[in-house]
Amino acid sequence: MSISANSLIEGLVEELEPVRTLKPKNGLAIVGGLTLFALIAVAATLGVRNNLMIGMAHEMFFLRSGVLLMLGTATAITVVNMARPGVGKLNRGWIWALITAALFPLTAAIMSAIAMPPVEALRPMEGLKCLAVSGIAALAIGTGLTLWLRQGAPTSPERAGWLIGLASGALGAAAYNIHCPFNDIYYVGLWFTIPVILSAVVGRLLVPHLIRW
Amino acid sequence: MIASEETFRQLMIKAQGGDKLCYSSLLVECDKWLRRYYARKINPSAIDDLVQETLISVHRKRASYDPARAFLPWLAAIGRYRWIDSLRKIYRHEHDHLYEEMVADPQDEDVTAKVSLERLLGMIPQKQAEVISLVKIEGLSIIEAAAKTGQSESLVKVNIHRGLKKMSALIESE
Repeated sequence: MSISANSLIEGLVEELEPVRTLKPKNGLAIVGGLTLFALIAVAATLGVRNNLMIGMAHEMFFLRSGVLLMLGTATAITVVNMARPGVGKLNRGWIWALITAALFPLTAAIMSAIAMPPVEALRPMEGLKCLAVSGIAALAIGTGLTLWLRQGAPTSPERAGWLIGLASGALGAAAYNIHCPFNDIYYVGLWFTIPVILSAVVGRLLVPHLIRW
Repeated sequence: MIASEETFRQLMIKAQGGDKLCYSSLLVECDKWLRRYYARKINPSAIDDLVQETLISVHRKRASYDPARAFLPWLAAIGRYRWIDSLRKIYRHEHDHLYEEMVADPQDEDVTAKVSLERLLGMIPQKQAEVISLVKIEGLSIIEAAAKTGQSESLVKVNIHRGLKKMSALIESE
């Protein structure tokens, strides 16, 4: 061993302090807490969709809630596991959740190809509101998850960026979902997909710079 | 002689608890393991810096080791990450001879084979692996690598870039 390696080791040993090992469940708790906070903020400021208030709900509400929460959770689990690297440790469950979630825009696209929906069905103004609120919620969730992941050692910052964007986009949209009164497939396929894709792109562009080590 | 997987694991658990004596032994063993790990996979003139950068990463990221798991796959993931980072920074080496003695004395062969850099290079297309080896590891210039492989100079550059990008996405693959 060289003299410089020896003195480096001495220096590192001198600096040593006990550390608490990173726990992925803490990262998940942050994500869960922020999602819940976003959901409560949406309910408090915009209100809960009418049919939920009277104790009834459309089946689309359950379908899209379930798919968004599943996509967000599966992806967030992959992200928090990336904090503790190891050769041979791959998490690919999120891919299946993503394929399942893609059924919504795919169905909307097929239905549109069969019969072009009227512009009213796409509700551009409400859609933009959906995009804005989901985006703000995603930003909060994504920021929390990124800050937590910075403590870890993700070996693929680009993939982590995509996945943080995907997780926070899906969970942000799930938070807005409690307010969104629309149920048709055209609206859901378009306005619940765009925030998730945009969030993933923003995550890919911003996050790698923040978590590289 | 390099420590066994279980020795590494026990030393790391003690180090995470703040035991300086164990930490010193752990870093000395990591230094030895990494020197063999990187042998023939980087120009010898760069190996000291790379090993030291990896040790610093081990120090900074020690909280990311999960004591319930094996140690060497964790060290290898950090080693691969630093290696690819280092290959990105290297543009031109002097032609040094590879240190023959560093490839001898393999330890924990089963584990090492699974986490090796050779295996990582094997996961990318052969043309990309070939030019990365020639330019980034053996130290040939782009022109020399182009002449040797029959690829154009721009293709050599593109293949290096793509290969490094692909490998960095595959760091945790066995």
